[in-house]
Amino acid sequence: MADLTLFSFQAGTTILHHLDVRAKTVLVCMLSMVLFTAGFSACLICFLVVYPLMCAIGMTMYRLIIRLKGFILLLAIMAATRAVTVPGEPILSVSGIEITRQGLAQGSLVGGRFFLVMVIGMLFAATTRPAALKSAAQWFLAPVPFVPEMRVAIMISLCLKFFPLILSRAGQTADAVNARCGSFKKNPVRRIRFLTLPLLKKTIISADHLCLAMDARCYTERRTDPAFESNGRERLFLGAGIGLCIAMVILSQESFWMIFW
Amino acid sequence: MTQTDSLRPMVHAALFVALICVGAFIAIPIGPVPIVLQNMFVLLAGLILGPAWGTACVAVYLLIGLAGLPVFAGGTSGIGKIFGPTGGYLLGYLPAVLVTGAISRFLGQTPFRDILAMIGGSIMLYGVGVPWLKLAFSLSWGQALALGLVPFLLGDAVKIAGAVVMARKIRPLLKE
Repeated sequence: MADLTLFSFQAGTTILHHLDVRAKTVLVCMLSMVLFTAGFSACLICFLVVYPLMCAIGMTMYRLIIRLKGFILLLAIMAATRAVTVPGEPILSVSGIEITRQGLAQGSLVGGRFFLVMVIGMLFAATTRPAALKSAAQWFLAPVPFVPEMRVAIMISLCLKFFPLILSRAGQTADAVNARCGSFKKNPVRRIRFLTLPLLKKTIISADHLCLAMDARCYTERRTDPAFESNGRERLFLGAGIGLCIAMVILSQESFWMIFW
Repeated sequence: MTQTDSLRPMVHAALFVALICVGAFIAIPIGPVPIVLQNMFVLLAGLILGPAWGTACVAVYLLIGLAGLPVFAGGTSGIGKIFGPTGGYLLGYLPAVLVTGAISRFLGQTPFRDILAMIGGSIMLYGVGVPWLKLAFSLSWGQALALGLVPFLLGDAVKIAGAVVMARKIRPLLKE
């Protein structure tokens, strides 16, 4: 479990690493909104744009599949469920269960959308320092009334520090439980308890130590205002991103394809 | 009140944000469908942190996901997820944690009352999630309940039972 690096920043010198985090956040939001209504062609265009960026940070398709094999299996199950539950023209029938053309198309489209959203999120996480994300949240929340943006920023920062700790502790606890034949226990409540209780106890003790350390350093919510790293290409990237989103929306319209038929 | 006393709730809330995020990736294999601990941590946040910090904790979790980190179930993220068919469950976390925390604070902290609080929270969660799913897929109420509620009931009962045990063990640690 500790090997799970979905949230990990990977140091690098690519354009995405030096792009202002606020521009990246806006791009991720726009793309994920458009993707949830995107058709096959729009998803393909998005993949063709995103894939070179993935390769640039060393995340090839093979590595991605290895890293996300669990989620890909989940997406495959989701697509298969749709293939057999959506009514339509049957293409295969196995012991009374019919796989329909429409179901297969819908299932693979939904799976493809989820996969792309996941990849874009990973790309964002791999090229954005946690401190930069905290700064972006503080910047975006500053104009919102009644929201203590500095406190939220500190919470985000702490939470990002806790991720690897919890994942590593969860892995250690699971190994310890398995070593004591805990995996053979049938009672689900006991299994949850044996895994989660030691994990929670350890992390709460770590959190209390952190409180003391913060107190010892006179840590308060009043921090230095964030400084944003910029490579001067933010407008170009935002323009390209908006262009891509518009293209994806147009490609997803049925009326667009009617022109060609 | 020392500064540590004012820092502790914030650090504990941040810890629960991290637990909720990581909860999507900690799966306990029980039968064909593994139990994912995410919504158990949401309800536990309500019980342990109370309504105000619990809600703040879930709001920060949603904000992190909206900002683009892959913390929503299945490793997804972004604002599109909120507007998607399962977005109602994510938004439902807010009233769920608020109600769980409020009931727990109002009724007191015994195992039976904790169970009541979490049942109340779960009702709020599905009360937002199921109608959202129904609207997103244009389903009938029967289909929406069959897809978005019934398959999760057994797992939720197990999670509530687990959370009650954990809440009893963790509360003394936080009061120390």
